Amino acid sequence: MIRVGIPRALSYYQYFPAWKTFFEALGAEMVVSPPTNKAIFTAGNSRAVAETCLPVKLFFGHAISLVNKCDYMFIPAMRSLGQKAYYCSKFIGLPDMTRALVPECPLILDPEIDLNKGRRNLYHAIYNMGRHFSSDESQIKKAVEQAEKAHLAYQKEMSARKITPIQALDEIHKDEGKSYLEPDISPGLSIAVIGHQYVIYDDYISHRLISRLQAMGVRVLTPEMAEQEALDTAMTRLGGAPHWSFEADIIGAGEYYLKAKTDGIISVAVFGCGPDSMMIDMVRHRASEFRIPFLHLSLDEHTSEGGLVTRLEAFLDMVKRKRRVCA
Amino acid sequence: MRIGIPHCGHAYIIAEALVQKLGNGENELIVPPPTSHRTLDLGVKYSPVEACLPFKLTLGNLIEACELGADTLIHARGTGVCRLGYYVKEQEQIIRDLGYDAHFLTLDVSQNRFRSIIRLMKDLTNDAPLPRIISAFRFAMGKLFALDNIEKVVHKVRAVELEKGRANQVYREAVKAIGEARTVGEVKSAAKEYIKRLNQVSQDPTVDPVKVGIVGEVYVVLDPFANMDIEMELGKLGVEVERTLSLSRWVKYRLFLNYLGVNEWKEVHEAAMPYLKRNVGGDGWESVGEKVVYARNGYDGLVHLAPFTCMPEIVAQNIMPSTKEDIPVLTVLYDEQMARPGMITRLEAFVDLLRFRRKRRGT
Repeated sequence: MIRVGIPRALSYYQYFPAWKTFFEALGAEMVVSPPTNKAIFTAGNSRAVAETCLPVKLFFGHAISLVNKCDYMFIPAMRSLGQKAYYCSKFIGLPDMTRALVPECPLILDPEIDLNKGRRNLYHAIYNMGRHFSSDESQIKKAVEQAEKAHLAYQKEMSARKITPIQALDEIHKDEGKSYLEPDISPGLSIAVIGHQYVIYDDYISHRLISRLQAMGVRVLTPEMAEQEALDTAMTRLGGAPHWSFEADIIGAGEYYLKAKTDGIISVAVFGCGPDSMMIDMVRHRASEFRIPFLHLSLDEHTSEGGLVTRLEAFLDMVKRKRRVCA
Repeated sequence: MRIGIPHCGHAYIIAEALVQKLGNGENELIVPPPTSHRTLDLGVKYSPVEACLPFKLTLGNLIEACELGADTLIHARGTGVCRLGYYVKEQEQIIRDLGYDAHFLTLDVSQNRFRSIIRLMKDLTNDAPLPRIISAFRFAMGKLFALDNIEKVVHKVRAVELEKGRANQVYREAVKAIGEARTVGEVKSAAKEYIKRLNQVSQDPTVDPVKVGIVGEVYVVLDPFANMDIEMELGKLGVEVERTLSLSRWVKYRLFLNYLGVNEWKEVHEAAMPYLKRNVGGDGWESVGEKVVYARNGYDGLVHLAPFTCMPEIVAQNIMPSTKEDIPVLTVLYDEQMARPGMITRLEAFVDLLRFRRKRRGT
């Protein structure tokens, strides 16, 4: 059986169910790299230029950990998902950067995902890739349809049951022996965490931010727990037509949860992130208009866990006091 | 309307020339003072911390234009993956928060660029008739091309002049003369005159200078304040500098020849293909391709300029070391923390390395 490797980083959190469905429908076996660990970080960090942002460095580490474990590696060049909103340059250059920095990598499947050029163009790119696995066009077409369905179901599951991608993905990975977490509905403070999925849900980058907050008795709200349309509406209201593909997750989710009168907002970004350096400020500005506490965490490979915890505790204390005073 | 513009190298000369030809009417052009440390301080103070240097510098320019009474601000916008597409959204809010009542006119530099420029010119010139705009535009372009041609000569002369700093002096006079020229004829004769004077600067004929290509993100490559006069500093070290990017080239191709199907980057993109297959926004693709082309053409080295955290250039930086066509590359990243002596030390070390390589190869 042909094995396709997928690094557990960047777009993985958004599209893994779709990719898995697609490749399995074509008879391939999926190999996913393990959750980020020290070895993966060191490997990725040693190859990439220092200025590269942490999640991309980790991506290379994940790619290195898959060498010799798969026959192909799937690294799409994500350019745009329509609306003239674009991904960051590093997503587009990802397959080429991986080829340059991880020369021992198996053959990289790198379809260019650009919905601005129309669905036909996108389908053509996927079809060309599918031919590595099957010569039957109808089988590829069917795989694409199934993948789309799986993706919508994944999104719906998260927004309907108010669970995070990690919880939803754990269910998919259930055969790996992981327990399924129940959605969190504690009545305490509700704090929205906004940011890129590959930052929030990579425990190595975020130092287990979500579970830490939950352990502190906080009800955590994330962008995926809101309906996509609601995020899009909020995003357009605050920032107009989007320029980045991630705008719904940051500006949209920020505005949505501010409007919903959440007790506080925590934005999480990695140092050196181009899109975030622009977008976060808009949400911060908006939060001060709503007079809702806002904490921005800028993380990098040197972030210490102790410092992070102190800031979280101080922030939560402030939110609690504000709630008491205003009540 | 009082129209303020940001700086980028000598781009302001185009705007000034247009106004010179079409006259100030109801709409007035406000060129902010040349980018200075005050500009940088203002930009840094009011920008998001992690914004890139071009954002901070242009914001500083626009604030200084507002101080002079500008109520309409012009800024470039690109559709694509670089942060440039977000500048206007963000700067508009910052300037409003500072209490200035100014609105933005955006100049599209990627899609619809031609229409966008014509519309902007109509705004700038109080709806002057098209033939007058065209003749004013030709005049402005004449200045731009003259300046870029003089710059090409000064890059060569600086490296081999006997009395260091002489070429630069002539160059400064040339910029002034071109800026003051009032007719197309005057521009042409000034350009001719100064190119002649530059070539007359006493040179050392025995020196075969080290040749270096300059590539990178367009704003820091073209703006001498942003790149701390890197071309001049290299010239002082006896290095001949070559760069493809220039404003006149941009205008010539992006506004005219591209529409006729000419792609000025064709060779460069083809050279980049084995290493980077697609446009990653900004100038990342071109940087990789140009490295290959400069290496093929026998250049001694490459100086790669980018603002700190520039996304497209980080892609280029990650890919460049793996190209088969190999020349030494020095990447210089600019932010507000950067100091000129640090840059000069790095340049000196780099040039020493290039000279040593030459000697070892026995050329």
